[in-house]
Amino acid sequence: MGLPRLGHANLGLGVGLRSAHFPHILEKWPAVDWFEVISENFMDSHGRPRHVLNQIAERYPIVMHGVSLSIGSTDPLDRDYLKRLKSLAQEVKPAWISDHICWTGVASRNTHDLLPVPFTEQTLRHVIERVRHVQDVLERPFVLENPSSYVQFRGSTMSEWEFVTRLAEESGCGLLLDVNNVYVSSFNHEMDPAEFIRSIPHDRIVQFHLAGHTNYVTHLIDTHDNHVIDPVWELYRQAHQLTGGVSTLLEWDANIPPFEVVHNEVLKAKQFMSQRLPAVAVTTELGNEVGSTVSHGREDAAWVPHPLHRVAAEVE
Amino acid sequence: MKPKADLSISHDDMPPLAAVQRWFQSVVSHPDGVDAGIESDDAQAIVRLTRDELELMITRSSKVSARDRISIYANAYYARLIECLGESFPILKRTLGEDVFNGFAFGYLQEYPSRSYTLGRLGDHFPRYLDETRPDRDEANLADSNPAVDWPDFLIDLATLEWTIDQVFDGLGIESSQTLQMEDLIDIAPERWPQMRLTVAPCLRLLRLHYPVNEYYSAVRKAGDDVEVETPGPQECFLVVTRRDFIVRRHEITAAQYELLQSLAQGHPVETAIAAAAQVSDLDDSALAMQLRQWFAIWARSQFFVAIK
Repeated sequence: MGLPRLGHANLGLGVGLRSAHFPHILEKWPAVDWFEVISENFMDSHGRPRHVLNQIAERYPIVMHGVSLSIGSTDPLDRDYLKRLKSLAQEVKPAWISDHICWTGVASRNTHDLLPVPFTEQTLRHVIERVRHVQDVLERPFVLENPSSYVQFRGSTMSEWEFVTRLAEESGCGLLLDVNNVYVSSFNHEMDPAEFIRSIPHDRIVQFHLAGHTNYVTHLIDTHDNHVIDPVWELYRQAHQLTGGVSTLLEWDANIPPFEVVHNEVLKAKQFMSQRLPAVAVTTELGNEVGSTVSHGREDAAWVPHPLHRVAAEVE
Repeated sequence: MKPKADLSISHDDMPPLAAVQRWFQSVVSHPDGVDAGIESDDAQAIVRLTRDELELMITRSSKVSARDRISIYANAYYARLIECLGESFPILKRTLGEDVFNGFAFGYLQEYPSRSYTLGRLGDHFPRYLDETRPDRDEANLADSNPAVDWPDFLIDLATLEWTIDQVFDGLGIESSQTLQMEDLIDIAPERWPQMRLTVAPCLRLLRLHYPVNEYYSAVRKAGDDVEVETPGPQECFLVVTRRDFIVRRHEITAAQYELLQSLAQGHPVETAIAAAAQVSDLDDSALAMQLRQWFAIWARSQFFVAIK
């Protein structure tokens, strides 16, 4: 067993930085422990977004979270992307850099989605090799997140948690455990989310993600548009106990409420850290979904899964 | 003759990762949905799989079929990117109405799928796409000069303005660099002016448009959501789009000012730039000379120039 969190700091309870909250943050400088930023929103920015980030990075710890590395793709790694990512990191000095265990496109295309990989030996070897390369280039702590998924490949030869465990242990990367994604994928694939959380290497977990999702009765979609539901909080409580506590970040990407609402949501985590209650079984049966958005149609854009990130222009 | 590769799959094996990914992308980005995607020539050339055999690749859950599961990705693909384009072109979207705009965006994404790591480049070719697909394009090409200026030109102009604003907002700027002030220009000896070259601000863009879309853009932004703003008739419009204090600024200019600034931006000396302006100006030389001082004073205040070369 190695050092908890691979020796990285527990930054506390943080919030994903979104442009809708820029004015509030710059005016109030809220007492948030840390911010996570979407790397792609800032790596090419020479305007307001980067200016705001520079000010925030002077006052708060920052983590850079990407959505376009495409670590699982069979296309070559994008050298230009990595160069720009590294350049942003040199200026912002994040505690670590993260992305997802996924691919975003092939044949030089980007679907801007977090697409699932089949969990096979071939995929594992491929991703491990690329993680090592990325770590060599970035020269900073590198962390990968389990995404939400909506399909499973018949050809997968191992469980997601086995894949995640072997990937982290053999490549040396850290893990960003998205507790909501564990819940969403477990619901969709009829797995036990608690088994996932029990089975991955806890000393390699550097960060947690929390978010809300949308319930479509037969399946869940990771929409980041609502409060965290109780079963996800229960999983978080279990993960907190197993890890001894790691940096925790709330993501809210659609129907974004005022900053205080987002901040208060992540502060709820304190309740689950202090509890020493016996573990409650988490099932992904419908009915546990108190507080989540339940939808029976696709009449609005809210059902589009994360990620959807853009910064709107300010024009006089 | 070389035998064809066996592209079919069975329960026991799985195609290589590269093939799985190319097949998956081909299926989820097919404009007619996953059924058409699976049976498309592109997908079949990668993995030979019928709709009925989908479960050889994707498993079903007890509640959701393999087809419906992969459809989540397919539905999200266009929805996400169309929404993103709508955020880049809000006034165009409002002008066209959501359905028509989304139809254009849907066509555009098929013609110009994203090849960048950033959504910030998603709309790069959208104005060009509107031009390429304009209904009167063939007629316009046939005309030797002055192709018909019509509704498509209005839409293309509006898209061009909105994309320029988007790029200027987050591109290189002048917030942390020196710009030329009027005093700097006054200090220059008169005999140096003709051969002097000025470096324009890196965020400065010059637009020549068929329609007064700048005025229309402002009117729509000002109007409430339910208020309909009348679309203007054709009228040539010249515009500087730039940025100060991280906010995009729009300056309407005359044809002569446009020619002058365009010439300077291309690196020509002031003398050449003034000659270009004179060619389109209604003013005689002395009146134009009088105007120039005023123009440069306004432009210096607006931080159009960053250096004297």
